[in-house]
Amino acid sequence: MTHAIEVHDLTKNYSSSGSGELAVDQINFTVEQGEIFGFLGPNGAGKSTTQRMLTTLLTPTEGQILILGHDLADDAYPAKRQIGLVPEESNVYTELTAWDNLMFTGRLYRMSKTDRGIRAEELLRDFGLWEKKDVKAEEFSKGMKRRLSIAMAIIHKPALLFLDEPTPGLDVQSARTIQKLIRQLSSEGTTVFMTTHQIEEANQLCDRVAIISHGKIAAIDTPEKLKQTFQQVQSVEISFTLSPNGLEEKLATLPEVSTVLKIGDKWRLYTESPPALLPHLIKFTEIENLDIVSLNTLAPSLEDVFLQITGQQIGSVSEEPSSKKTGMKRKKGK
Amino acid sequence: MKNFWTRTIDELSQAWIVTLKDIKVYYLRPGMIMFGFLMPFFMFFSFSVKREMAAGDGMARLLALTIFFTAAAAGPFIIPTERRLGTYDRLLAAPMSLLTLLAGKIAVGAFFAIAVSLIAVIIGIFFLNASIAQPALMIAGIVIGSFTFSAMGLIFGSIPTRNPGDVQMPSTLIRWVLLFVSGVFVPLSEMSTIARGISYLSPLTYAQDLMNHAVLGTGELALWLNLSVLFLSGVIFLLPSIKLHKRGRVLGY
Repeated sequence: MTHAIEVHDLTKNYSSSGSGELAVDQINFTVEQGEIFGFLGPNGAGKSTTQRMLTTLLTPTEGQILILGHDLADDAYPAKRQIGLVPEESNVYTELTAWDNLMFTGRLYRMSKTDRGIRAEELLRDFGLWEKKDVKAEEFSKGMKRRLSIAMAIIHKPALLFLDEPTPGLDVQSARTIQKLIRQLSSEGTTVFMTTHQIEEANQLCDRVAIISHGKIAAIDTPEKLKQTFQQVQSVEISFTLSPNGLEEKLATLPEVSTVLKIGDKWRLYTESPPALLPHLIKFTEIENLDIVSLNTLAPSLEDVFLQITGQQIGSVSEEPSSKKTGMKRKKGK
Repeated sequence: MKNFWTRTIDELSQAWIVTLKDIKVYYLRPGMIMFGFLMPFFMFFSFSVKREMAAGDGMARLLALTIFFTAAAAGPFIIPTERRLGTYDRLLAAPMSLLTLLAGKIAVGAFFAIAVSLIAVIIGIFFLNASIAQPALMIAGIVIGSFTFSAMGLIFGSIPTRNPGDVQMPSTLIRWVLLFVSGVFVPLSEMSTIARGISYLSPLTYAQDLMNHAVLGTGELALWLNLSVLFLSGVIFLLPSIKLHKRGRVLGY
């Protein structure tokens, strides 16, 4: 079967002289039809650049892209007819009503009047926007605009849907609606290619993920297999009835602990060997006279894998690469 | 062959869809009204104050100014605005060629100019008491001129930027230069040889002379020359727009 996406030696250099750092550096990957494929990476890693090249919005410096078997360099038209695009910022026409936005997109994809009417009603009802169909999009909330933007991208039932950061900034209800929709589209056979910062979202939704760092693909596999590869980032999560001052520093000095991270009322101790750490931890609680509320050992999360691969420190995943969360203590020399 | 015709019909239809959408979304936006509708009238009336001018002469100038400013206002306003809002990506990713998209955008400015020109015609006939020597030629001139100057405006709109302000400045500057060297304010017959030579570089000169033919029944240049230069200019103006769009795709706009 033809791959939904096939990428060979894809490279992008924004500098006109060709001397600057490569935004995307000779990447190769394939996405199978019907897959939900997550494209993860920190800011500036090359996620959006790759997606823009895959959707014909950006010309590659080198390399080949095949979308559903069509080479974009030869003729992008047949590929364009089969893709839908949801960019990071909801790009709806705010001066038009929800209905007019959908009608415009349906016409762009050469849908008949009857088909686009039926499909628009179906989508507006599914997305909870039917009551607002005659309201201009400028009056919509961010979540409603996002839903409308997705509806516009799938009105023509694309075989391949590109989603750029589908849920950040949305309320829980809107985010869940969109996640449910992604699963539904996949079950109906649509291939979904999503770039995201939301690692847990990728973990829950994606059949496979690729992690891109500094323009290169650092890892590509199913979330579970990636986690198995990184057993060294296992952790023990513990909470106490009280957290006295200086507890963080003391936990960081325990043998086998590489990093201590405070998560709410819990402490997460990263270690290569939870069984080796546990006796030290129990002894520590006795010495410090601490009462344990809960104690769990945790396998590596996809976020841990992501952090290991991208070289970021645990606890530093955020919208902006420069911002740092507090409550993290990393042991020197580890 | 069947595929070719199907594709051509698809492309033409999509250009029309883009035009209709832009008409709905942008015609009543303040930027379009200011630069496309009010500006040519302000310029005409400020130029006409305390000047002895025959009614037909005034109407020909008003028409030339209108198609020039109004048609060229759309591109520099709409495309950078759409780039900033991300809606332009929707069009670039849609199944249509770049030429189709540009044709749709040119039609937006052209139809706006044609509509505003009708107002100029009404002002000319009912307020200036002008009569039109060749109405069919006037209509043809308005249509060709509107498409040509809309294509000119598209060049500025195609500059890879997301900020309409970056485009308005060079667009306004060049339009003013083309206006001042043309035969709109000073008739060709009253120009020095050098000034006349320079005026031939401005397509507005040919639009003005064409309107003189249409309204007054006489012009300095041959009618075929005016029509040919305007038509060819429109085609030539497309080339930098295509090149700038391709450059934009390389740079990431």
